[in-house]
Amino acid sequence: MIELLAKLGRASLGVFERLGRGHLFLLAVLGRLPGLALRPRLLLQQMWSVGVQSLLIIVVSGSFVGMVLGLQGYNTLVTFGAEESLGVVVAKSLLRELGPVIAALLFAGRAGSALTAEIGFMKATEQLSAMEMMAVDPLGRVVAPRFVAGLLSMPLLAAIFTAIGVLGGYFCGVGLLGVDEGAFWSQMQAKVTLVQDVVNGVVIKSLAFGLVVSWIAVFEGYDAVPTSEGVSAATTRTVVHSSLAILGLDFVLTGLMFN
Amino acid sequence: MNTPAPASQPIVRIRDLHFRRGARAIFNGVNLEIPRGKVTAILGPSGTGKTTLLRLIGAQIAPTSGTVEVDGVNVQSLAVKPLYELRKRMGMLFQSGALLTDLTVFENVAFPLREHTDLPASLLRSLVLMKLEMVGLRGARDLYPRELSGGMARRAALARAIALDPSMILYDEPFSGQDPISMGILVRLIRELNDALGLTSVLVSHDVAETSSIADYLFILAGATIVGAGTPAELRESDSPIIRQFMGGLPDGPVPFHFPAPPLLDDLLDAGP
Repeated sequence: MIELLAKLGRASLGVFERLGRGHLFLLAVLGRLPGLALRPRLLLQQMWSVGVQSLLIIVVSGSFVGMVLGLQGYNTLVTFGAEESLGVVVAKSLLRELGPVIAALLFAGRAGSALTAEIGFMKATEQLSAMEMMAVDPLGRVVAPRFVAGLLSMPLLAAIFTAIGVLGGYFCGVGLLGVDEGAFWSQMQAKVTLVQDVVNGVVIKSLAFGLVVSWIAVFEGYDAVPTSEGVSAATTRTVVHSSLAILGLDFVLTGLMFN
Repeated sequence: MNTPAPASQPIVRIRDLHFRRGARAIFNGVNLEIPRGKVTAILGPSGTGKTTLLRLIGAQIAPTSGTVEVDGVNVQSLAVKPLYELRKRMGMLFQSGALLTDLTVFENVAFPLREHTDLPASLLRSLVLMKLEMVGLRGARDLYPRELSGGMARRAALARAIALDPSMILYDEPFSGQDPISMGILVRLIRELNDALGLTSVLVSHDVAETSSIADYLFILAGATIVGAGTPAELRESDSPIIRQFMGGLPDGPVPFHFPAPPLLDDLLDAGP
């Protein structure tokens, strides 16, 4: 029994110690942001690899999610003769929840894991140590640009995901199932609000998810055990922890924003 | 060579250095002075903490106790900015080369110059090409690290290490895993660069023959402390069993062949897993 309690205590201490290190790491990265502002080229390079290179999976997934929403929404709404509201259902679902959440989950799988693996590999192959010995701060040169690129890319990717999703819903609802085109767009225009739907959903939620995913990804990479198993485990942790954090945070944000 | 006497102005001075990793003592009262302008090698069996010693000199890790001085400054007492200024005067060649894998050879060598100087592109190009010419890789400037052999990667890393014209270069196992030709090239390069550029070179290695052929001074590290010091000729003549074992490459001696274990018979008769 005592042994069990001791194990539990050790595990808890380990978790809190790591949480503490993660927060100190975030503070250290934030402290490097003024320096990054002087070198926008570093940020642009990372926006390309973190953001632009995630576009394909975002566009394809967004279109499928939108099309499924169109099909399911139509099936439900037609029962009540309310299929003209399909545009509102698709747009609100995507703007408030599915756009930010699914885009963030995809982003964690595609870009978050890549960030962790890249930084972890740089650590394992002594590239970060080499930078330190060349009097170059790896937090400023490697970590900060990737962190900010992730943070800024997330809302943009969620916006693209949502826009493509709406088009997917339009394709299924109007193109395949015969919903009135005018009703689809006009009801959407009437019911979707800028602050409640767009700002809360795509902007604030996505920024929060982008912060959490980028933070977890760069921390896991920087903190990885510098072996192939260590980098592999860190990459897995990034995807698992990011996904759980996104879903948990989404619940909290939804509770705060829409209730 | 026109350098001060080794004892008068050492570039690195380590005093009563203790370093522990968990319960294991890596260094237990190490004292050594590295003379300026010479090639000094620290030899020792694998796992004795040679790379750790280089990291302590570069202040990448902190000792448990004791001091490491570079150019008369205790490196542990330095804040980040002066430490980085000091590191600009120190090149380090990592065992793996540690080239930045997303940059070409040219960009790798240009990296420290771009980070720390504001040189015009044409001058930067000339400097990089001159450094690459020194290591024989001017023609490989457009290759990526993945396209280089192990020996070429180490030479490219060496060109990067001398990019900022440091006064001292730390070499971490420069000969390990090299074929005889690459090893010969690296041995010659280390000596020639040291003399031509007026550097101080510090090598850690376990390759006795190659290291002895170029080092002016050797330290032998074993059992968490320095067990021998002197010129290669002096150490070859030493009567100390541990120095004789290491210099002669003898498989057993004061440094045992076997990792500590119970007697073989007990182990064989033990029915447990």
